[in-house]
Amino acid sequence: MAFSTTVSQRKHIKRKAPRGFLKHVFKRQKPHLRLETSGDLLVHLNCLLFVRRLAEESRMNAFESKCGVIKKEHVQAAAKLFFSPTQPELRGMKENC
Amino acid sequence: MNVRRRSHRARSIGRLAHVHTSGNLEEQTPRTLLKNILLTAPESSVMMPESVVKPVPTPQVVQSSRRESSRGSLELQLPELEPPTTLALGLLAPGRRKQRQRLSVFQQGMDQGLPLSQEPRGNGSASSLTSSLNLTFATPLQPQSVQRPGLARRPPTRRAVDVGAFLQDLRDTSLALASPGDSLRTPVATLPTDTVLEDTQPFSQPLIGRSPSVYHSLPCLSHTEAEDAERAVSHRIQSSGPRLQNHNPGKPTQLLAGKAKKVDALAVSFPNNSSAVSGEDGVEPLQDGVGEEAEERMEESLSVSKVMATTGTQGSVRMEKSKGHREMTEAAEAKEPEGSSGASPELASSTTEFLQARQPQFLEPAPPPSTAVLSSEPLEPLSTRLPPRARTPGPRARTPGPRPRQDPHKTGLSHYVKLFSFYAKMPMEKAALEMVEKCLFYPNPFGSLDKYFQHLCDDLEVFAAHAGRKTVRPEDLELLMRRQGLVNDQVSLHVLVERHLPLEYRQLLIPCAFSGNSVFPAQ
Repeated sequence: MAFSTTVSQRKHIKRKAPRGFLKHVFKRQKPHLRLETSGDLLVHLNCLLFVRRLAEESRMNAFESKCGVIKKEHVQAAAKLFFSPTQPELRGMKENC
Repeated sequence: MNVRRRSHRARSIGRLAHVHTSGNLEEQTPRTLLKNILLTAPESSVMMPESVVKPVPTPQVVQSSRRESSRGSLELQLPELEPPTTLALGLLAPGRRKQRQRLSVFQQGMDQGLPLSQEPRGNGSASSLTSSLNLTFATPLQPQSVQRPGLARRPPTRRAVDVGAFLQDLRDTSLALASPGDSLRTPVATLPTDTVLEDTQPFSQPLIGRSPSVYHSLPCLSHTEAEDAERAVSHRIQSSGPRLQNHNPGKPTQLLAGKAKKVDALAVSFPNNSSAVSGEDGVEPLQDGVGEEAEERMEESLSVSKVMATTGTQGSVRMEKSKGHREMTEAAEAKEPEGSSGASPELASSTTEFLQARQPQFLEPAPPPSTAVLSSEPLEPLSTRLPPRARTPGPRARTPGPRPRQDPHKTGLSHYVKLFSFYAKMPMEKAALEMVEKCLFYPNPFGSLDKYFQHLCDDLEVFAAHAGRKTVRPEDLELLMRRQGLVNDQVSLHVLVERHLPLEYRQLLIPCAFSGNSVFPAQ
């Protein structure tokens, strides 16, 4: 698979998951719930994939409008896809197609 | 029947002798060999199968006997056995003849199960090769492998060697990797070792079997490469550079056959490694030129590592200006004027040529405006981070109140925002980054107006409640990702974990069996 599990060090992207941050957020949202040990890693994975999809979508929007720079409206249009009240299955299909 | 064959062979011998007298001067290429065979190929006869069946039990007899006996008494059986014996004799020293005979005879023995169409060619080759000793092994091998793809061990590696040979020619001019014809001839000399060394692929279709075979044949190498890739995560390029360099000088010392497999495995693992160095450079456009890109990326990584090591801050400042593909051009340009990399300046020039040739392909925005944007681009992410930091003075603020609460939020969020700008690989506006932040999380103390995290937590709560639990477990997460379409029947959760998370997290998430009959993490 040509996916990369590592990254160039130019921007010094940390690959660590901010586990404390995630747990804190979850606690704030749902104080009556508990999150398991490895659960927050999966939440981090979900966040990564979400951010990646968002970035890809906004990049495509920018390409379509022939901009060299990603603008706010590109990101907004991309976010609409995610947060619109579509069925999650449809959303998944829309992304995967 | 005997008479007919003898006469035919005499005719063919005579013809071949004529051909051969003229052909002795010219070199034996596969083309001339095939031409000879086609000239002398006899018509297929129905009588062949039974006579062919006989050579199967008599390979051992043939081993002891050389040409003379084969030509004499065993004419009946040995039109097919002869070519290998004569080939072997013609090719190699007498000491190795027995080995070659056994192997060739074994192959011939396997060929007996062939369909009838194989026979004329075998006959033709036999009759044509009785007197010619200089024909290479390649000719009968190739038609056989074409007929029987299951046993086609040569073509896939030949393909690999082509790419690898091309790459090696670029990089190591000293190692004269010539045409694939060489790879055809050298396997003869190293055939026993070859079958031990490299051909561990199963008897599957070459195309399908190639990628698993690569992983099977070099698990250790890919593992070390993966290790290097993982270490590059925590350390910088300098640390990964030496390791890549270790692999680099190790490569030229391999045999040709070994090189084929190494290059193939390295070419496959190079996407992991090169992207370890260069980031996720548009996976889709890269997949067609993976091998060459990977090689160049490796060279780039070496040179980049050298540049960073030598220039230090200056190089790092220049590096930070670009990301993705641009970092390659910048590093290339930075390399040339500095001329600091001692190792392989000619390689650097070749890689820069390649990269500059590739840049127009892969970079949709034109380079000139991008350089203008580049200068502003490093300011943008810095500026986006500065205002949040200005608002909340540093993560280590000792002031009580709402500030410490906001600090870790900001730092946690900025992590994802940074990831967004990294994945986008394009310069972004400040407003766009703020938009991303808004998507993820509203820094709102009055309750959650964020979108993404809120949705996430709500879904997890629903799933846990549906299972009658008050603890959110990884199964709920998997269900969430399945609903999002990230996990489906083709892609499992473990695959995503392996792709996107670092190794340490993978160990925590995916159960793995260890020694002592233990599984960690416990299920």
